Amino acid sequence: MSLLNIGVSALLTSQASLATASHNISNVNTEGYIRQRADHITRQADFQGSHYVGTGVTIGGVERIYDNFLASQVRTYTSQQSQQETFSTFSKQIDDLLGSPQLGLNNGLESFFNAVHEVANDPTSLSARQVMLTEGSILANRFNTIDRQLGELNKQADNLLAVSVKDINTLSQGIAELNNAIIAAGASRAGDQPNDLLDKRDQLINELSKYLTVNTIPEDTGAVTVIVGNGQALVVGTSNIKLHEIVDTSTNPVRVAIGYGPTQIDVSLQLTGGSVGGAFQVRNDVIGVVQAELDALALGVTANFNSQHQKGVTLGGNIGGDFFAIPTPPATADAGSIRMAISDPRDIAIAFPVGVTNTSTTGSGQIEIANIDAVPPLTLPLLAANITLTFNAATNEYTADDGVNPAVTIAYNPNTDGGKSVSLLAPMVELTLVLNGVPANGDVITLGNSASVGDNRNALALADLQVAKTLNGSTQSFADFYGVTVANVATRTHQADIGQKAQQGLLDQVSLRFDSISGVNLDEEAANLIRFQQSYQAASQIITVSNTIFDALLSAVR
Amino acid sequence: MRISTAYIFNQNLTAMLNQQVELGKTQLQVATGKNILTPSDDPIAAVAILNLQREVNLTEQYLSNADKAENKLVVEEGVLQSSTELLQRIHELAIQGLNDTNSKTDRSVIAQEMVQLNKQLLSLANTRDSSGDYLFSGFKNDTQPYTSIGASYAGDSGQRNLQVGAGVLVATNDPGNQIFEAEHVQTTVTDNAGSSSASLRITAVEQDRIFSAPVTISFASATNTLTITDGTNVETISPYSAGEAVVLNELNAQFPAFTLQLDGTLADGDSYTLDTQVTPSQTVFKTVNDFAIALTNDAVGADDSPNNGDFLSNLKASLNTVVDARAKVGSRLNAIDQQRQINDGLSINMQATLSEIQDLDYAEAISRLSQQTLALQASQQSFVKVQGLSLFNYL
Repeated sequence: MSLLNIGVSALLTSQASLATASHNISNVNTEGYIRQRADHITRQADFQGSHYVGTGVTIGGVERIYDNFLASQVRTYTSQQSQQETFSTFSKQIDDLLGSPQLGLNNGLESFFNAVHEVANDPTSLSARQVMLTEGSILANRFNTIDRQLGELNKQADNLLAVSVKDINTLSQGIAELNNAIIAAGASRAGDQPNDLLDKRDQLINELSKYLTVNTIPEDTGAVTVIVGNGQALVVGTSNIKLHEIVDTSTNPVRVAIGYGPTQIDVSLQLTGGSVGGAFQVRNDVIGVVQAELDALALGVTANFNSQHQKGVTLGGNIGGDFFAIPTPPATADAGSIRMAISDPRDIAIAFPVGVTNTSTTGSGQIEIANIDAVPPLTLPLLAANITLTFNAATNEYTADDGVNPAVTIAYNPNTDGGKSVSLLAPMVELTLVLNGVPANGDVITLGNSASVGDNRNALALADLQVAKTLNGSTQSFADFYGVTVANVATRTHQADIGQKAQQGLLDQVSLRFDSISGVNLDEEAANLIRFQQSYQAASQIITVSNTIFDALLSAVR
Repeated sequence: MRISTAYIFNQNLTAMLNQQVELGKTQLQVATGKNILTPSDDPIAAVAILNLQREVNLTEQYLSNADKAENKLVVEEGVLQSSTELLQRIHELAIQGLNDTNSKTDRSVIAQEMVQLNKQLLSLANTRDSSGDYLFSGFKNDTQPYTSIGASYAGDSGQRNLQVGAGVLVATNDPGNQIFEAEHVQTTVTDNAGSSSASLRITAVEQDRIFSAPVTISFASATNTLTITDGTNVETISPYSAGEAVVLNELNAQFPAFTLQLDGTLADGDSYTLDTQVTPSQTVFKTVNDFAIALTNDAVGADDSPNNGDFLSNLKASLNTVVDARAKVGSRLNAIDQQRQINDGLSINMQATLSEIQDLDYAEAISRLSQQTLALQASQQSFVKVQGLSLFNYL
């Protein structure tokens, strides 16, 4: 083998290495580019009878410096990071919404009940009543606004899913096409991989992992099979299977779900990770839950407030109606439809329909009506006849008698029972009475129908609803209930925030490791340039030497 | 280990962006003065803040309710104060008018003043508050409680409570019939024997006479004995002749303080029952008016109706009712004051806690701000420095 040939092989090899270094340098900012290296191998030696003489160098192949394990870790953490990020983006908005002083319900409830107190302070004041109406409609408005915002977020999540489905289909189609190109380029043969096509395909798979958790299985042909969810193949060989945006009718209002393949089977529950997983998760765990809780709160406020309001008497002397309205449909109050049922401040029912109308006593015994226990709707007059309560000091008993129904005795020991609360029951009338003082024998207290403009007892009962534990099996007040909702969202958001940071950290670490293997380092490439420039120069010298010795041979025979 | 050039670039950039985010958050904290910007910053503290804010708000409402209740009670107290003064003046006038040195004309003049004062008293009972509501008509505060001197109470017995603390209600009004009405007693004499020419005359009545039971006075001519009994105690005067004054409470302390005498020709079996007729409640206006009419007619002797003793004791009962009501109002005002102190204390404590949780520690935040600024500057400078390092500079 001639020296010239060896020199030329060295020149060509150095050129290839220089070209590879230049390729690396020029792609330093290309997303998804994996650095390449030209492998130098010695050419087959010549056997010269007794020994082998080297014949120079050749390029064994241009190899991608790539670690499959790290690449799949990058995808895993990309999916998880993207899921937490999507979740936290949505849940932060809800967190802001519920905690906002302008929109949050806690301030609305406070202002409303302050207005109820003012009406109790001044039951005849029409302006105080008007303020209560206005605050009531502001409260209803806050419910409506939050509900609408949650609906908007739901829609945004739906849109995100719809757009994601389109993007995923584009990506899977791209992967299938690249599979095709890679097979055509003959990737099954070792040593001559179509590196830049592989880079592109890896890049697309990485993109896909932002939307979903992705598993890849390499095939012998050089293609990869891409699997999502629990075994749904998105790409098989050179073909891709499409996802579809379908309608989930199990919820009201209907939501977007994801169908798989030509039959469009709903696979929403199987798809995890990525922005799709995050959107599903936040939609079910936060938006849906908050909507349901808000609806429950709206129902609780409406039912409890209305029920007490219906026990009162309006300025016009009529029995109170609904204060907040429950429109039909929907049959149950929902936060989006709650509104005021009355518009005339005179229709606010502040008085009680019964009162102590006469006392004929010599002792200090007192009876107050603490609440009306009869279940609305009530009809006026509430009492068919006056009820007299006559005290018997010998037996320590009041006898309640309305002359119509059987008389009822109420035990009351003035020495021990001061402040005792007792219930009168149907058929007479359902009332809670509070007994106080020391009545004398034969003292008579008469309960009768009443409807006085200055009576604020129902307003006090309404104001009590602010702190009364009426919800969740009588364990929570309205504000307590709302507080739990706020806390739940805050905790989930906080968790997602921390989770996102943790995933970001993991992603950064694994990216660093991946890049430390596969990324381009300009200094290294600069050094390579120098190195291969030098070997190129040296190879040129081989040709010069071969030329010189050839000349020497020629001149020797000249 | 080798590092890729893009990675160095990205890492530095990301680090700078993160520092900017942190800096922005600190800046917002400093600008708003709040430590917690959204509930997720600290879920536990956020819920505590919600609860504290609600409690503070409620306590402030209680304080405002207490102010309203106090205003109402102060007005009522003023009215009751004036009523007391009027009743005391009426009492003085009555004593003056009963003085035997008065002529009929003098009494008529005194009666006129008494009628005038009575009208004032009536107008006090019909006082309205600033929003035009009657103070003393219970829940019916659009109804005038007493339309005239002789009218009966038109309101109801409702007492309006205001909430001045958690579970603490204070009554802010009193129904007029519990202030301007009192038990009314009237002495009656019944002639049990009928057609005798004798008659029983009351010559003096003390104010503080107490009837434990009706007193029967009977004459027996056989022994010329006058027997006085209230069913339990029996006293006799023997001999008794017509026109002799009998001071009942001197005979027996259990007897009411009456001085009486039998006039005319006494016959055997003459018997009289002295008793009081008690009306559970009568308006003070009617009591005073009846007396003023009697005074004008110069008919206020012991034997007249109303007699002077009945009137004075009835007036005293009315005065006591008003004074009692005033004492009640005073005790409610006290209760409000105490509750206000409690609420003030609670409010201050809760606001302190609230501030501790949600307000920013400025010293800490400012030092954090300058620390973060410094860190951002440092990474910006190091970024430029590191990016400047390249082997290509030497090729």
